[in-house]
Amino acid sequence: MSDTIPIQLTVNGRQRSLRVAPHHTLLDVLRDDLDLTGAKECCLVGECGACTVIVDGRTVDSCLVLAVEVDGASVTTVEGLARDGSLSPLQQAFLDRGAAQCGYCIPGQLMSAHALLETNPHPSLDDVQEGLAGNLCRCAGYQQIVDAVLAAADGADR
Amino acid sequence: MHPFAYERPGSLAEAIALLGRHGAEARLLAGGTDLIIRLRDGSLRPSVVIDLKRVEELRPAIREEDGRLSISATSVMTDIAADPRVRRHFVALAEAAAVIGSVQIRNRATLAGNICNASPAADTAPSLLVYGAVVVAAGPAGTRRIPIDEFFVRSGATTLQRDELVAAVELPLPARRIGAAHVRRTRRRGHDLASVTLTCGVDDAGVTRLAYGSVGPRPVLEVDESGTLADPGSTGEARAGVLERMFLGASPSPRSMRASPEYRVAMLRALGERALRMALDRLGGG
Amino acid sequence: MSRDGVGASVTRGGGYDRVTGRQRYVADIHLEDVLHVKLVTLDCARARIRSVDASAAWRVPGVRLVTTAEDLPRPMPRFGPQFEDRPVLAVGETKYHGEPVAAVAAETRDAAEEAARLVHVDYEELPAVVTLAAALDPAAPLVQDPALRPGDPFATTNVLREHRVAWGDVDATVADLVVEHVYAFPMVTHFAIEPHAFMAAPDGDGIAVWSTIQHPYWLQRILAKLLRMPLSKVRVLAPDPGGAFGGKQHTKYEPLVAFMALRAGRPVRLVLSLEETFQAARRASASVRVRTGFRADGAFAFQDVAADYLVGAYADIADRVVSKGSYPACGPYRVPAGRVVGRGILSHTPPSTAFRGFGNPQVNWAVESNIDEGARALGIDRLEIRLRNLARRGEAFIPFDTPADGDWEQTVRTAAARIGWGTPLPPGRGRGIAIGIKSGPTTGLSYATVRLLADGSVIVYAGTSDMGQGARTVFAQIAAQELGAPLEAVTVVMGDTAVVPYDAQTSASRSSVLMGTAIQRACGQVRDQLRGMAARLHGIDEAGIVVERGTVRLPDRELPVLDVLRRGLGRLGGELIGNGEMRKEEEPGHPLGGSAAFWEFNCTAIEAEVDEGTGDITLVRHVTVSDVGRALNPLQVRMQDEGAAIQGLGHTLMEHYIFDDHGRIRNLGAIDYRIPTSMDLPLELHSEIVENGDGPGPYGAKGMSEGALLCVAPAVAAAVRDATGAVIRELPLTPERVWRALHGEPDRP
Repeated sequence: MSDTIPIQLTVNGRQRSLRVAPHHTLLDVLRDDLDLTGAKECCLVGECGACTVIVDGRTVDSCLVLAVEVDGASVTTVEGLARDGSLSPLQQAFLDRGAAQCGYCIPGQLMSAHALLETNPHPSLDDVQEGLAGNLCRCAGYQQIVDAVLAAADGADR
Repeated sequence: MHPFAYERPGSLAEAIALLGRHGAEARLLAGGTDLIIRLRDGSLRPSVVIDLKRVEELRPAIREEDGRLSISATSVMTDIAADPRVRRHFVALAEAAAVIGSVQIRNRATLAGNICNASPAADTAPSLLVYGAVVVAAGPAGTRRIPIDEFFVRSGATTLQRDELVAAVELPLPARRIGAAHVRRTRRRGHDLASVTLTCGVDDAGVTRLAYGSVGPRPVLEVDESGTLADPGSTGEARAGVLERMFLGASPSPRSMRASPEYRVAMLRALGERALRMALDRLGGG
Repeated sequence: MSRDGVGASVTRGGGYDRVTGRQRYVADIHLEDVLHVKLVTLDCARARIRSVDASAAWRVPGVRLVTTAEDLPRPMPRFGPQFEDRPVLAVGETKYHGEPVAAVAAETRDAAEEAARLVHVDYEELPAVVTLAAALDPAAPLVQDPALRPGDPFATTNVLREHRVAWGDVDATVADLVVEHVYAFPMVTHFAIEPHAFMAAPDGDGIAVWSTIQHPYWLQRILAKLLRMPLSKVRVLAPDPGGAFGGKQHTKYEPLVAFMALRAGRPVRLVLSLEETFQAARRASASVRVRTGFRADGAFAFQDVAADYLVGAYADIADRVVSKGSYPACGPYRVPAGRVVGRGILSHTPPSTAFRGFGNPQVNWAVESNIDEGARALGIDRLEIRLRNLARRGEAFIPFDTPADGDWEQTVRTAAARIGWGTPLPPGRGRGIAIGIKSGPTTGLSYATVRLLADGSVIVYAGTSDMGQGARTVFAQIAAQELGAPLEAVTVVMGDTAVVPYDAQTSASRSSVLMGTAIQRACGQVRDQLRGMAARLHGIDEAGIVVERGTVRLPDRELPVLDVLRRGLGRLGGELIGNGEMRKEEEPGHPLGGSAAFWEFNCTAIEAEVDEGTGDITLVRHVTVSDVGRALNPLQVRMQDEGAAIQGLGHTLMEHYIFDDHGRIRNLGAIDYRIPTSMDLPLELHSEIVENGDGPGPYGAKGMSEGALLCVAPAVAAAVRDATGAVIRELPLTPERVWRALHGEPDRP
């Protein structure tokens, strides 16, 4: 096997230093090395969005990013959304609106929604549907997911 | 995924040297949205992957200089689609960039990567052809400028030399007013690979440039200088005749599972007319 | 209805873990010292295996085990829920693209993948049959070895089995109009976002197996038999699956990982890629010929249905899918003479299995479409013809089965009203309406245990799998309701055969009805014990005591349950334990082995617009109305209904497997197998329910998770035809297919 390369990154606000194999993806490293299993593995071709995390403010499919590429970057995963044990407004809205069914796609949906609201705090229905189109939900709870994002955006006004 | 070595050059010279040293054993990494899929499925097994994202000269940037807009090699679709200058002068490129993949993909995928893959379905290609883009290739002998129409050869092949890389894509700022539109055909409304991708641009001198992809080994550019397409007084028949000739370059594969050749050709006609109408509206609307 | 109990849209049990990323699915569980398994497969569907050379694979650092057919007991252990036909690894011949020939276990995933690539299989590709026509050709190669089918009259054909249901005399019935057409339904896959995952580890003198399985106890039984272990030594751990939809009902690679773990003496794990899930589970495609006889007034004279389902190389549960799916093909209508012949046709394709709707959507698509054809020919409104024939409550529409168990007209009229049936439409728009019906469980067995702890909190043990349908939530609501406990104080334990009592299966939308009843009964036992306690404490007769909604009512006063419980348990504390059982016995002689516990009934109505230039369909409005008896959790009911509706849009509009000449799935994986995204939804989606409390489950509930999928396709196709005149009898209704129909181009195979 190939040599490993040292990288440093911030994950959910915490500095991490580790050595990674160049051919390991960010998803591999999150799940296998950092035991952050919130990001899920499904299609591995950037179609399903189950592995979505935020790198330097933008969502990526972590299955299509090599871990070495995020050296020096700041990564947020679903585990980083709740603060001090309390859910983020978006997480709370997902819970309240019943957006999670089997739940497998939900971490990815949350990350896409979180990034969307960061750049577009008052999205329209179309904005949300388009912003989350890269996150497949086979339970097809799309209406509840979209409702939750819109509700969280509304709540942010109050 | 097969193991490989990873290089992260900081300068263009360093990147070109690495490319020279490793030759066919190396693959360049920009956004990775195609490369990593192919590394994982084993269709590519390079010994070295050279990441261009830390190359100082290639940092994400969209610059206006010397009468052109220069889009650096690591600029991503999200930024291209949102850039006010791209939207003002090259709206069809902004539209193409905005429909590639999902948000997550557009946050990584680069314009340079899109053209270097030379996929016949590359969504940005028709717009680049219509706008007369120029590819800035950097190699050991310095840089050279390749008109985009001379860049594409066939699926997966470009005129880029093995020791060269794309440093930027330049778009000449239009001297005339242009109305343009990008349209595409997919199997669903959510993100999908296009079975037809097409851009039409009409300028205020009556010249219509129409480019299309995904219907043959490489994207095709056709120009109507007769003014027929741009002329609102032309009959539908006359317009259809011109469009028909423009689509003679289409040779869709009968092997594709995404759409049949006859459907693709029919969609070229349908989309060609729609894009022309949109382009004319936009030209009229300023 | 109370805040916590049934009828309230309480927050999902497990919801917190799902929105924080803490929910541990099988692939998220880390076992110490685990080996990673990778399957070795061939690049074609059918091949004769000459030899397997693993020497290069063994040389990869970190490889600890390479398992081939040679390394397994002889004869090769075979398994399956209906027929024991599926080998643990292919032996002699592969029968579908993706069938494993060997498996490698290594210290890392990288090493396992590299070594699997290096296992050299010397093989000769053989001709494969991957279509109904090819499989039914008298010269076709036989998919299954006749030697494995002794005494089977179909052994020398590719017919797995044939199922006939008939009443009246179809051939002797005269009709004013006979409409006959053939309808095709595509091969589609579940595409759960969680790929199947399996782990196994030696566990004392037994084995522990983790699986994304829907039916852990069925898996336990199969493993115990294959491994020759007592049930008590086979522990199946089944964390909540990340979506299943039927694709995770039955045993897949658990026997393989179990043999490997025992051989290696270490835990092993196999997480499938999405591509491998396409090769592990899918829905049967079908070709359905329907001949419908109508009287001039629109009354049905007869239905004559012949449905061929293309099943895979091994039966899995496909034969049951064929029999139970084709059975109600004549629909919820008065049909004086009905005949349904369903056949499962074996092919060199991945084993087809259960998938939401269980064989019903295939025949429903055909029969409902054919009814529209007749209505058009007779000049009768398409809603009217359905209402004219629809069975009313109590009518035995299938003579030997459960009569109509709901006010179905109410459901149909609700859908029609919601879609605005009969009101004018703008040009280019059309409407369609269709009715779906499916038999609920025909047999079943569920046990539940409920513990009322000393502080009044409750633990429910239920062997149902919560794969997103929300069983955990509804069970907690039932227990809260029955024992008067606050919902927060109820814990539901599932997914461990060593801890939770037996449940036959999580399928056929059964759990609220069957397991729900078992839980109610277990709670009843607890209440009985409370009554005994109160009688003892107060020196009165039990007969005068009622326990209801958290209160113990004595003849002269009411006491909180907790008060009686504390005093009754005394200083040693302890708890009350109740057990409940719900069984639906087999009915000998019944074509399905038992009548329907309930009918799942849905009416779907669609308003669509078609872009005639491109063939694009826009669903302007999608209305689904389901008769659910009683909604135990209305929000979850709506989510199941909408989810089923959208999943139905998948096979209606875009999903299908495409095979090449080698029997390989060309669109293997997420790039070219399209499922609906958030941008592919109807512009408006309305899910409504009919609640008359007339179901057999707790509080009058019926099962409801599949109904809204059943008749999406015929409703959409009818709307497309209404809008454009395009007649399409093959799914999916891709833009290209619609365009072809509109422009007179022949359909493509």
